[in-house]
Amino acid sequence: MKILIVEDDHAMATHIVAGLHPLHRQVDRAVDGYQGLSMMARAHYDLLIVDRMLPKLDGLDLVRELRASGRETPVLMVSALGEVDARVEGLEAGVDDYLAKPFAMTELNARVDALARRPRLGEPATRRRVADLELDRFTRTVRRAGRTIELQPREFRLLDYLMAHAGRVVTRAMLLEHVWEFHFEPQTSVVETHISRLRAKIDRGFDGELLHTVRGIGYSLRAGH
Amino acid sequence: MRSPVLRTAAFRMALWQAALFTLLGAALLGIVWLRINDYAQDELRGKVATEMASLRQADADGTLVVQLRQRLAALPAGSDYYLLTDAQQRAIAGNLRYRPVAVGWHVLPLTGAIGKDSSDADQVHLYVAHFPDGRWLVVGRDNRSVVELGEVLGDSFIDVGGLAIVLVLLGGGWASWRYLRRIDALGARAERALEGAQELPLVGSGHGDELDRLAARLNRLLERMQVLMEGMRQVSNDIAHDLRTPLARTRQRLEASLADGMDATRLRQTIGEAIGDIDDLLATFRALLRIASVEARQPHSGFEMIDLSALFEDIAEIYRPVAEDSGHPFEAHIAAGQRVHGDRALLAQMLVNLVENALHHTPVRSRLRLELQVQAGAMIGRVTDRGPGIPPESHAQVLKRFVRLDSSRNLPGAGLGLALVAAISDLHGIGLVLRDAMPGLMVELRFPGTCVS
Repeated sequence: MKILIVEDDHAMATHIVAGLHPLHRQVDRAVDGYQGLSMMARAHYDLLIVDRMLPKLDGLDLVRELRASGRETPVLMVSALGEVDARVEGLEAGVDDYLAKPFAMTELNARVDALARRPRLGEPATRRRVADLELDRFTRTVRRAGRTIELQPREFRLLDYLMAHAGRVVTRAMLLEHVWEFHFEPQTSVVETHISRLRAKIDRGFDGELLHTVRGIGYSLRAGH
Repeated sequence: MRSPVLRTAAFRMALWQAALFTLLGAALLGIVWLRINDYAQDELRGKVATEMASLRQADADGTLVVQLRQRLAALPAGSDYYLLTDAQQRAIAGNLRYRPVAVGWHVLPLTGAIGKDSSDADQVHLYVAHFPDGRWLVVGRDNRSVVELGEVLGDSFIDVGGLAIVLVLLGGGWASWRYLRRIDALGARAERALEGAQELPLVGSGHGDELDRLAARLNRLLERMQVLMEGMRQVSNDIAHDLRTPLARTRQRLEASLADGMDATRLRQTIGEAIGDIDDLLATFRALLRIASVEARQPHSGFEMIDLSALFEDIAEIYRPVAEDSGHPFEAHIAAGQRVHGDRALLAQMLVNLVENALHHTPVRSRLRLELQVQAGAMIGRVTDRGPGIPPESHAQVLKRFVRLDSSRNLPGAGLGLALVAAISDLHGIGLVLRDAMPGLMVELRFPGTCVS
């Protein structure tokens, strides 16, 4: 997978390149917005990591240009501006995910992973399946090994998100943003509590654990280990 | 240098009024004078005509000369004039030096009266008659009554007009002095506010006039500015004082690890702890910035109608398991269908902070209640715990930044949760009240707007 990093701060760029998962190490770098645009025009990239405040051409304008030219390349924006308003602005400009600086590399890797394999075209699948766990988004039902599992609406959303990212790691922050729409860090163990309730419903009494805790990073829904 | 009172708009207006009044008075006087003059002249000529008729009668009776002499003797300085001449126009009797030539009315400047001071009159109206035997009879009357009337009118005009001008000027001066005093008071308060002084808002006269409205607007402006200035001052203070302690602690930790001959494992552990410290600091920074950005936001910008009941239900759904897992019985009573104008993300954070506070600061098994009620037409949200509560004298205190009561010093957190709640409720115009739940703390949120019953 080819990634383009548009970041003017050399130390930050080096840090990102060094921290990216080995699978994602095919990385080019541009130091300003114009260079970023021209590099995108010359080569194909699977993912862009764009700093928001860039010399010459602002990160937001760069993404707008990119989207205006009809390109759907996923964009992860990183920025010191982490407020909800700034985030909304970014998403409106066509950014796929927005990460506030400073961030942990595990967080960045999880988000890169999520974006890189995100299905880009068409409606998201109405039925999801991981091992013997099935989820129907249309009828809002969940079954495992043929047994129906009753879930609360929020638990359903949580499971849906985990299954959409099956096999990959999702972080606490990603869950908070997408499942609970919290753009802040709660002081209590909201995520842990709901994960453990969900785990009790989908894993307890079945063969093989599906919902795994990835220590220090987040959670992963997958068959086996 | 003119006095400031004379330079006010109010005084200029008074001057214009005085000028206008004078002009109006003069026009009025002119019209009145013309009318009276016409009337007085008609009256005068009527008298002359009557006199002439009576003298013609006397002539027919042969007593003309006798009667003339009698009249002249009775009124030596009167307003009446007579002249009788023979056919050669030589005077026979009379008090007038005149050479009659034509029959009819004549108006002459008054110069030729005999034995009279001309008094105030300057004209004489004469009627000339020519008898068949060649004699001329002239009867006249001067215009002293008309002139005197004019003088009286002029004098009254000057008296009344002068008084009016003086009154207008005094009134204008007084009005502008009052105006100036209030404007100066407003200005002085603005000036002091600029210098950073805090004081009570300026109270208008209570008439609800334009100056009161201006004062109210200025008050709002100044209050907002003071809030912003205070916020800035506080943030700098907070950063200077409250962030220094954790920074110093981290530095100490790192320094100690340098000095000791630590092995790699201990070093890694120390670095991990330092990163934890720095993450806490960054979280504190984020919270501070968030409070500052909420405080600096214009009310209602980016607001929309949100389903408040659904938001409360969401929070209840999210926190019920969290509360139960930490051993706090949780109950929610939420009125359906309530809507409010606001920022959903901020209101969610406000409720989360309140619920999490209640979870953090109460012992296991103490009950937690989340409510949204309609009471007397108002939407009221409540988060009530049954923990140790907050002493009433500290209620105002805990809404400030970095304030932590002694009882919670050993718990994690930076004392910013309620400060953010206060900032968000301010922005939304929500009445935030802390009450003693006996035991425990009840935080009451009085939402603005109309409820749905």
